[in-house]
Amino acid sequence: MGYTLAEKVLARVSGVPGVRAGQEVMAKPDFVIVYDFPGYTDVIFRQMKEDFGIDRVAEPERYAIFIDHMVPVATPAEEQLHIQTRNWCAEQSVPLYERRGIGHQVSAELGYATPGAFAVHFDGHISQLGAFGTLAIGLRRNILEAFVRERVSLKVPQTTRINLHGTLQKGVMARDVFHHIVRVLGPSACRFQVMEVGGPGLASLSIEGRQVICGLAMFTGAITAVCNPDEVTLAYTHSRNRISIDPVTSDPDASYAAVHDIDISNLSPIIVLPPNPANTRDLVDHLGIEVQSGYLGSCASGRLEDLRIAAQILKGRRVKDGFSLHVIPTSQDIMSKAASEGLISTLVEAGAFTSSPSCDYCFGRIATMGPGQKAVSTGTLNVPGRMGSPDSEIFLVNAAAVAAAAIEGRTVDPRKYL
Amino acid sequence: MSLANLNGRVAWIFTEENFDVDLIVGVKNMKITDIKELSALAMQTYDPDFVSLIRAGDLIVGGANFGYGHPHYPSLRALRHLGISGIVAESFSPGFWRGEISMGTPLISCPGILGAVQRWDEIVVDWAKSAVRNLTRAVTLPLEPLSSGDHAMLESGGLVPYLKRDLQSASA
Repeated sequence: MGYTLAEKVLARVSGVPGVRAGQEVMAKPDFVIVYDFPGYTDVIFRQMKEDFGIDRVAEPERYAIFIDHMVPVATPAEEQLHIQTRNWCAEQSVPLYERRGIGHQVSAELGYATPGAFAVHFDGHISQLGAFGTLAIGLRRNILEAFVRERVSLKVPQTTRINLHGTLQKGVMARDVFHHIVRVLGPSACRFQVMEVGGPGLASLSIEGRQVICGLAMFTGAITAVCNPDEVTLAYTHSRNRISIDPVTSDPDASYAAVHDIDISNLSPIIVLPPNPANTRDLVDHLGIEVQSGYLGSCASGRLEDLRIAAQILKGRRVKDGFSLHVIPTSQDIMSKAASEGLISTLVEAGAFTSSPSCDYCFGRIATMGPGQKAVSTGTLNVPGRMGSPDSEIFLVNAAAVAAAAIEGRTVDPRKYL
Repeated sequence: MSLANLNGRVAWIFTEENFDVDLIVGVKNMKITDIKELSALAMQTYDPDFVSLIRAGDLIVGGANFGYGHPHYPSLRALRHLGISGIVAESFSPGFWRGEISMGTPLISCPGILGAVQRWDEIVVDWAKSAVRNLTRAVTLPLEPLSSGDHAMLESGGLVPYLKRDLQSASA
């Protein structure tokens, strides 16, 4: 019986050859990645010192701290948090990445998504490093463990395998595939497991698309997601890898909790209605919902293919008067490439508001919605209050559908503009 | 050291799947930090008398995939303050599970629980026998055992005391 990718990674980092799902191990993360956020990093830094008497982390190069929330700051208290983080990183010789973009994306750009590596974060969307064959798990507050000792305690997860078949039609994007997975399998199909996505349908998707699918895995109940590395992802990671390890893939005879086959060739754009990420419907059945704002960005979008399709739709057209369209590239690298391609000028000429990368649009810290307002969004989720007032509503759609809604001020099928 | 059994009444039953725990205190109250203010708001949309009706040790019962969505900490913080001793559910969403076990909140995964209890029944969570007993109806259901890591974390009272204990025993 073969092993899953997750079992292979955890065997290496726990030093226990042949671990199987269900075993409890002490695993040494190759990377400990966090962003500074009140209640997390400030508390961790304090607890390390006060509760555990630890002045310095061992092997600081294993750690990576991002400043991507509260960028730019709006209050002195927010700046104070960043100052504390900068000071801590300087004292500890821990790499700090500030204003480079959303950490989950920039981590990949910087090589923390080394295939076969084990990474931990407090935020579960780090699962998107799985697109490169990295096992990346969000531990919530248990991330403290990774700051006070070398290893974290973990039960080796089972894996559910999803084979995608077919290719996407025009105007249908990777996030539609993810929402479709939730629709078909349900929001607890991969509970406490790894969601492994593969098959010819996955091979047809871009790296960016795979990042999106893996990044949203938590809404299937998965603790993370992975794709077996292929020549496409290995070409991306080759020059970036931060550590020298062999990539691993799941064996053909690995033991899975379940195997599902999903055909994506007849998929149409999806809309996720409020109030939760399980509320997945075909967009064509929910056209004409009046919306006042649109957000194209987040760690689950805002990449080049998203910006390209939005620019294609908005080229020579106008954002409807009174509609607020925010297009926020996910990293500075993406911003720069989008500018070089002329995408930014196309979007701005159409009436989009763009700014440098920041996580802040996704959780309503800025572009905050008022009561009764509705938005189309490529953000990570649509629970009440996520982007402002608890009485506002978020409709999750793909980047094309955000751009199309911006033209008409209501939910529309983006395919008519393509 | 072993986990103390939980013994109390079923203070509320959330029958819905994928229950969003933020609704317990209300999404609009998520930023309240004062524990008295926060706990006074708990369950108000479900039963306005909830706070006065419950006794220390009472438990909450939930459905499948309890805690789905984007769970924040204030709701359970409020319930703990009011004396709720744990949550017994058909199953839990992993993010919620991890977050609350690290806060020292006993979570008991017990398939079939929704069909086995009514509000105000007296139940016992018996860790040693790995069972949930409904004393009111003389029904017993098996619970899903905790991993040894989660067990140790609950025994210690949460993440920080668990790590302290573990690090001390490692260096001893």
